[in-house]
Amino acid sequence: MVVMEKCRRRLGPGVEFYCEAFRAPSGAQIALWGPSGCGKSTMLNLISGLLRPDSGVVRVDDVETQTLSEGQLDRFRGERVGHIFQTFNLLAPFTALQNVLLGMRFSDTVPQSEWKKRATHLLERVGLGHRVHSKPNTMSVGERQRVAIARALANKQKLVVADEPTGSLDPKSAKAVMDLLLELCSEEDVTLLLVTHDMGIAERLPERFDCTHLAREVTS
Amino acid sequence: MSLWHIAWSYLWNRKLTTVLTILSVALAAGMISAVLTLREETKKRFEEESQAFDLVVGAKGSPLQLVLSSVYFMDTPTGAILYSDYEKLKALPDVTAAFPIGLGDTVKGFRIVGTDKGLLSHRWTNAIGQEKAPFRMAEGRVFEKPMEAVLGSVVARKTGLKVGDSFTGTHGFTEGVAGSGHDHSNQPYTVVGLLAPSGTPMDRAAFCDLRSVWEVHGHHEHGDRHDDEAEEGHDHAAEATAGNERTEEDHLDDAAEEPADSTARGDQVTAILVQLNSPAARFPMRPYINKHFNAMAAVPTDEIQTLYNQLLGAAKTVLLTIGYLVVAISALSILIGLYLSILQRRRDLAIMRALGASAYEIVGAVLIEAFWVTLLGIGSGWILGRGLTFALGQYMTERFGMTINAFSYNAEEIGAFATIALVGLIAGIVPAWQAYRTDIARDLAEN
Repeated sequence: MVVMEKCRRRLGPGVEFYCEAFRAPSGAQIALWGPSGCGKSTMLNLISGLLRPDSGVVRVDDVETQTLSEGQLDRFRGERVGHIFQTFNLLAPFTALQNVLLGMRFSDTVPQSEWKKRATHLLERVGLGHRVHSKPNTMSVGERQRVAIARALANKQKLVVADEPTGSLDPKSAKAVMDLLLELCSEEDVTLLLVTHDMGIAERLPERFDCTHLAREVTS
Repeated sequence: MSLWHIAWSYLWNRKLTTVLTILSVALAAGMISAVLTLREETKKRFEEESQAFDLVVGAKGSPLQLVLSSVYFMDTPTGAILYSDYEKLKALPDVTAAFPIGLGDTVKGFRIVGTDKGLLSHRWTNAIGQEKAPFRMAEGRVFEKPMEAVLGSVVARKTGLKVGDSFTGTHGFTEGVAGSGHDHSNQPYTVVGLLAPSGTPMDRAAFCDLRSVWEVHGHHEHGDRHDDEAEEGHDHAAEATAGNERTEEDHLDDAAEEPADSTARGDQVTAILVQLNSPAARFPMRPYINKHFNAMAAVPTDEIQTLYNQLLGAAKTVLLTIGYLVVAISALSILIGLYLSILQRRRDLAIMRALGASAYEIVGAVLIEAFWVTLLGIGSGWILGRGLTFALGQYMTERFGMTINAFSYNAEEIGAFATIALVGLIAGIVPAWQAYRTDIARDLAEN
């Protein structure tokens, strides 16, 4: 369950993010939709703990993230949230397997003895069993995003946040990645919040949240 | 996957920069290591040799020159003194052993040392209680009569002379080159023994009975005349007649005007190596000799200490200053290298933070990178320093008969390495601080 209530965050001079209420039940798959600059990525960052609200409440399951210390917030991100980015954000010096392992390195959710087995299983599940030892720069963009999906699920997270996950992909790869992402999230009973400006992508998810008016001008 | 592995992967990912930074640390560490090891080892060797004799007695002049020429065979002697002085000195109650040294000739640039055969069985105990015996026969026997010679190991190797061979001496001595004077070709020496390598100046000398030197130069005195102005002994007859009556002032005047004739002839010796019944006896004995003999006594350990403090101490300071400047430059290159690397991979750091890494883990990974660079730099520097020391040690062995242990340790060197490690880690702090301040959302959005 993800809840956002009366959440406010200053974005710049005279502009703020404000969300009166948002609620995503466990296992939901929701597209946060809206044009560029509307505040949808800010909303995602506030939910995933990459940003803190200036006021209001952000709750993920039983955790109110605005109350967490810096260290607790780090732990929260590592244990509860899987991130998928538009530009994949894989770490270049590491192989596909190591990138997925890094997803487990910074939390205690999965016992260390199971890291390699789980990482290999996830890479096989996303169709990259043959590329576990490949480095990102030798992989296609579609393959890179599939590694990122595997990494986002490595810690058995119950919330995956995806920010324009198909934004850098050709239509064919985008469709394949979306199919895989939706399928895996259903399989693992993971809540998926997906930011997109593409209505076509948004319509593939069962629910949509209109972010059009989240960023607003304020008088100081 | 540990932080060490993560740090190493990033270093490996920018190999060229990493290798260049490691090299700069290695250069600094190697230079400092070589300077300190060479300094300690040469000092140790010089001190060990200087402990072989409590006093060296010779013609008045520079005490250091007397010690260097008579104990290390490295310099021209200060002059010659009377053989009767040797006999008088030997009879003194505090003297347990005294060996006359007669210099004058060389074989292929190596000193021919006329002495008493007792010198070749000389042993002594050094300051830390180890017994030293540099004269060990590798082959043959000790000389028994005039014109028989025992060769030091380097002399034997360089000249190719074997037991049973004969050679002739050349008058004069210029370090490292064959004698510049005339040959005593009508009076050949016969090699009767070869010494085993000892890593001491003895390796670079040929030993014979003192009477050999007298015979060669006695003959020369009556037969030949030196016509080579460059040679060291230029007018033996005048020296021989004047020797006994000369005053200290005469010697000092000579020292100022022209090189003293140090060749031992007839009734003369170049120096006397003296062992006393106690090192403490040096203190009364030295002024006693200076007062009652027409000669000068020098304490080898004191002279070597002075040499080190005045000359090599300054050289060490200069070289170490350069070494530590290189350390500072290396630290700067670690700092710049890591700082630029952190700027280039702010996104990677932000990703790791998004994956749950704490700010402290990120700082740790960056400091570990600095540690890796410094550690590998020190390791490579140690190898470089040892290589340099070994190469210079080979040269020192050839040139001065001094064995340098390239793999010895000293506290100063370990302290220097610890300092470099600390400086390397400090250089990592600025980039680590930069990494600590990562703004995750901004860095992910900006790149």
